Amino acid sequence: MKNIFKQIGLLALILLFSMASSTAVNAQTSEQELTYVKVEVKGLACPFCAYGLEKKLKETDGVKNIKINVEEGIAYLTVLKSKKPAKKMLEKIVTDAGFTPSSIVFSENPFEMKDEN
Amino acid sequence: MSFFLGLLVISGCHENKKKKQETTSWKFSKEIPLENVSPIGIVSQNNFLWLSDVDNNRVVKVDLDGNILEAFNGLQRPMHMAIKEGKIYVPEYTSDSLKIIENGNVSTLELKENTDGIGGVSVFGNTVAIADFYNHQIILQQEDKVIILGTEVHDDGELYYPTDVEMSDDLIYVADAYNNRVQVFDFEGNYVRMIGWNESIKVATGLKVTDSQVIVADFEGNRVLIYDLNGKLLQIVSGKFNQPTDIEIVNGTMYVVNYKGKAISILEKR
Repeated sequence: MKNIFKQIGLLALILLFSMASSTAVNAQTSEQELTYVKVEVKGLACPFCAYGLEKKLKETDGVKNIKINVEEGIAYLTVLKSKKPAKKMLEKIVTDAGFTPSSIVFSENPFEMKDEN
Repeated sequence: MSFFLGLLVISGCHENKKKKQETTSWKFSKEIPLENVSPIGIVSQNNFLWLSDVDNNRVVKVDLDGNILEAFNGLQRPMHMAIKEGKIYVPEYTSDSLKIIENGNVSTLELKENTDGIGGVSVFGNTVAIADFYNHQIILQQEDKVIILGTEVHDDGELYYPTDVEMSDDLIYVADAYNNRVQVFDFEGNYVRMIGWNESIKVATGLKVTDSQVIVADFEGNRVLIYDLNGKLLQIVSGKFNQPTDIEIVNGTMYVVNYKGKAISILEKR
């Protein structure tokens, strides 16, 4: 009887271990599926403007996360690689939101951010 | 003869009273720093203040010394709020939703019109007024109808990125932010007057209407401008604000919230 309990315990441990490994692999995979965009904008002076741009960028397909630095006038985007937006499309979103894009940079690695809102 | 003399005295007293009202000015008293709060809106409830902390997606309740007593997290970029009968109305700029905080619970008020960036809200009687930022309009929602004020651009009665709205007995005051002015409408949607054009306001972000004054926060100009209800300039206060966004009056004291300064400026009447 004791052996049966031992075997069940061992099986449970193996199951837990394999689930944890699988989650780690998934996280690693999703990290590899991401790309990063830094959008510098002129005229992003007030929070209504900054969070207005955030609102418009959020509606873009494939955007997973946005951080806005109001003071520096920069929007940092985390985007799915498979749905990486074209530079021209981002420029249009910025322009339609009432601003002028000054630079749009793509990177495989996250940008260093001073302020995270 | 004595009747006319009496009239003259009464009239003189009235003039003096009027003059006194107009010469009463607001002075800086002190500044209360806020710990990690980037405020946009402010409303008062008894002897407490509610602040919308836009950067941190929350609304906080603070005492009159700025100490945080309570916080409601998870709100999406809350902006200019309103308060009525114990209910705090919180517009969510990102989700275009109007939340109500009451007795510790958060609920949603259904809106009859689609909005694009709710910058501010006001509640008066059975009317809810909404500053619809990206649609350049004010929406007046009542039980049985909806009235739209303003269209985009710059002429009288037109709006350009409105951020705040306040209602009084018979008028609606709009912070017409990027037209650099306040515009006044009646409840039928008719344009009544413009306030602030001569003072070169940079961004008219927030406003407070009392029974005798219209007070405007000039975000980029770092000023607070005080007008009578007809739009006559009474005073400009400047020098110690750091991106002021909204104003509240509690027991005769003015509280001005500063977004960049992360502080509340206190002004008293002298």
